[in-house]
Amino acid sequence: MTIGSMFGDIFKSLFKKPITEQYPFVKMEVPENLRGKLIWNPEKCTGCMLCIKDCPSNGIELLVVDKVNKKFVMRYNIDRCTFCAQCVESCRFGCIEMSDEMWELASTRKEPFEVFYGRDEDIKFLLENSAKGETETPC
Amino acid sequence: MDVNFPPLVALLLFPGGAFLLFSGLVFEYIDRKLVARFQNRYGPRWFQPLADVVKLLAKEEIIPTGVVKSLFVGLPVIALTAALTSALYVPLFGFKPVFSFQGDLIVTLYLLSVMTLCIGLAGANTEDRFSLIGATRALTQLFSYEAPFLLALLGPAIALQTWNIREINAGAGSGLWFIIAQPIGFVVAMVGLMGKLELPPFDAPEAETEIVAGAFTEYSGRGFAIFKIGRDVELVIGLTLVASFYLGGFNSPLDFLWKTLLLLFVTAALQSLFARLRIDQTVGMWWRVGVLMVLLQLVVIIVGQHLAPIIQPVIQSLFGG
Amino acid sequence: MEPKTAPEKFIVPIGPQHPALKEPGHFEFTVEGEVVTNATARLGFVHRGMEKGAENRTWIQGLYLMERVCGICSHVHALAFALGVEKLAGVQAPPRAQAIRELVSELERIHSHLLWLGVAAHEGGFDTLFMFSWRDRETVMDLLETISGNRVNYSANVLGGVKIDISDKQADAIRKGMDFLEERTQHYLKVVTEDETFLGRTRNIGVMSFEQADFLGAIGPTGRASGVKRDVRVDSPYTAYNDFPVKLITHTHGDLEARFIVRIQELYESYRLVRELVDKMPTGDLSVKVPRRIPEGEVISRVEAPRGELLYFIKSNGSDTPERIKVRTPSLCNWSSVLVTAVGHNLADMPMILAGIDPCFSCNDRIVTVNRKTDSTQMDWEDLRQFGIEYYKWM
Repeated sequence: MTIGSMFGDIFKSLFKKPITEQYPFVKMEVPENLRGKLIWNPEKCTGCMLCIKDCPSNGIELLVVDKVNKKFVMRYNIDRCTFCAQCVESCRFGCIEMSDEMWELASTRKEPFEVFYGRDEDIKFLLENSAKGETETPC
Repeated sequence: MDVNFPPLVALLLFPGGAFLLFSGLVFEYIDRKLVARFQNRYGPRWFQPLADVVKLLAKEEIIPTGVVKSLFVGLPVIALTAALTSALYVPLFGFKPVFSFQGDLIVTLYLLSVMTLCIGLAGANTEDRFSLIGATRALTQLFSYEAPFLLALLGPAIALQTWNIREINAGAGSGLWFIIAQPIGFVVAMVGLMGKLELPPFDAPEAETEIVAGAFTEYSGRGFAIFKIGRDVELVIGLTLVASFYLGGFNSPLDFLWKTLLLLFVTAALQSLFARLRIDQTVGMWWRVGVLMVLLQLVVIIVGQHLAPIIQPVIQSLFGG
Repeated sequence: MEPKTAPEKFIVPIGPQHPALKEPGHFEFTVEGEVVTNATARLGFVHRGMEKGAENRTWIQGLYLMERVCGICSHVHALAFALGVEKLAGVQAPPRAQAIRELVSELERIHSHLLWLGVAAHEGGFDTLFMFSWRDRETVMDLLETISGNRVNYSANVLGGVKIDISDKQADAIRKGMDFLEERTQHYLKVVTEDETFLGRTRNIGVMSFEQADFLGAIGPTGRASGVKRDVRVDSPYTAYNDFPVKLITHTHGDLEARFIVRIQELYESYRLVRELVDKMPTGDLSVKVPRRIPEGEVISRVEAPRGELLYFIKSNGSDTPERIKVRTPSLCNWSSVLVTAVGHNLADMPMILAGIDPCFSCNDRIVTVNRKTDSTQMDWEDLRQFGIEYYKWM
């Protein structure tokens, strides 16, 4: 039966620096395995769409520019992604990986949450088409 | 220190009134910061209690249905008034008390209890079940610690043969400090102070995880801010009383500062060491352990006083001659 | 619905919003003075319709949905689902995958028990223990983040295995973390069993005898603290528990102190298991291919969540979406123990008794259909909304 059994703890705490991390002035190091923003490499993609089928939250879409020549553009909705990395697992060619950025998901506008991946000319082609007024069906 | 303040200045500005309110906020900051550092975290910044009060004063005061409106609005004001009035009789900030008369020790202690009575009434005023339970617990706690606390503060009074706080303050500095001469009384006074201020582990009337906020549940805005300020003022005055009686009285503001801050440090350490006591455990502890300890202390004092004329010459002849 | 007049009994609602509850649930305690004479409970505030949602998603998408039934025990939900689907498909995950699954399960158990220690201490007013145990919990959260990439909802499972691997550097970090945590846990065990004020709040409070626990069906550490010898890891081992077994820890007293002791000793078992797994991890593949259309059948899979036995019933009709998934979480079995043991105690003990079973409200809420053959009313949206407003106005 002791009274004040945590006395050692509180006494030592007076001489130690507080453990609280002073975010946002001090940010912790990100571990290398962090499941952050998706990165897609268009070179190896064959357009099998397995990643789209397996995504639990419809966060990625593959827009076809030219199916025969394998030109695709991926539209990635960061606000829908749950960062589960199932797409990384489903892709048989290793086109997708998760980087370790974008773990602070706060923004005042909606635009940063929709990212286009692909070769530059494909993206330009797609944006020109949508500007001309052709509607794309949203996912 | 012997500085004669004109009564109106003392009441409104310094050392009572506005300065006392401000120092209550400072003491609350030091208390919260110390408890946080004991728990290995940062704690609030220096202006946090002031920011809390300003924010609360800016919010809407919601008066629930079923209360007596005049009581609801008036009780916090009465509590704060009582606390500020009792400040006139204690040696605040090292200066001598503005008013003093024989028996003002009892008056001061009762004025400090008015705050708890107001809390009890405020809780009983509403229809909210949490407030009712909080009020019941507050009044139960009042009945249980009041007797030992008063008796513990009477120890130095009996030793110095006076009921006047100013004379006790002056007399406590001469001779042996009462913390060494009456250690049991000091312990009971410290624990009684924590019970009076409803600091953990005696915060059953305001237990956050059981009854939301006890008697304060329905208060918001201005009423809540005034209750908070009243609690802080009571913290300052309570520490002043215990420090002036047991730690050798105050001669100057610097003296006041280090003695009360030392007591605040001990209070903060005691706050973070224990789990919350249930209300029946609090009452049981006080009426069994507390009262017996303080009665034992008083018996020792009185016996010592009567035997002193007999023992002193004997000791002097043994060691002096 | 006419308004009720002043109630005859004094009922204290530990209601949907209360600082004692971390998630919403409604408890009504009838109080005389400070002593509780009756207790009722009402759940269902966090129902999200996940079982229905799983019927519209494919098997792979359903895995991630089931993971989010609970935040603290997310891995075991996904594990139970994956085990059930693999059994239906007739595949078995490779040994390395099973060992990694067990490793993450045990790490999650450590994190959950440390969280519970802090929360239960906070309910008893012992904020210092709360702050210190949550400070130490950060170690295991960082370990999980290093291994799997996320602090909560570590999507380690895929149908057929795992998708994460343990490298040597991570294994060293795990060992160091376990050493640090073991030392701190010894200190907490001493605090919990010896501190006078804390014992005053936990000893002989909420006593549940062995017969009562058996009758009420208490499971998990709550039941084991009363002597009920049930633990799915020992009774019917899954994943790698055949090769890396666990000891069954029970206590006889059945009060709150016993529940603290059982959980802290389970922490010791978990530390030992994690060290053993990291040292003797089998080599091999990480996952096995599972077809997209699962053959027809029904399966029940049971795992040991940190709170008790978790049961999944999965029914497949041969397509690539499930037909029915039923989840029975452990907290659901322990509520009756709270309502029975609460009678006779002070109101001040109620939060600790509630926290003593480690309730996880969001796991709980499932739909139960009651067939009332006598009367039936039909309400549309406006009627339903008005009904709700009237009902809660006079609560």
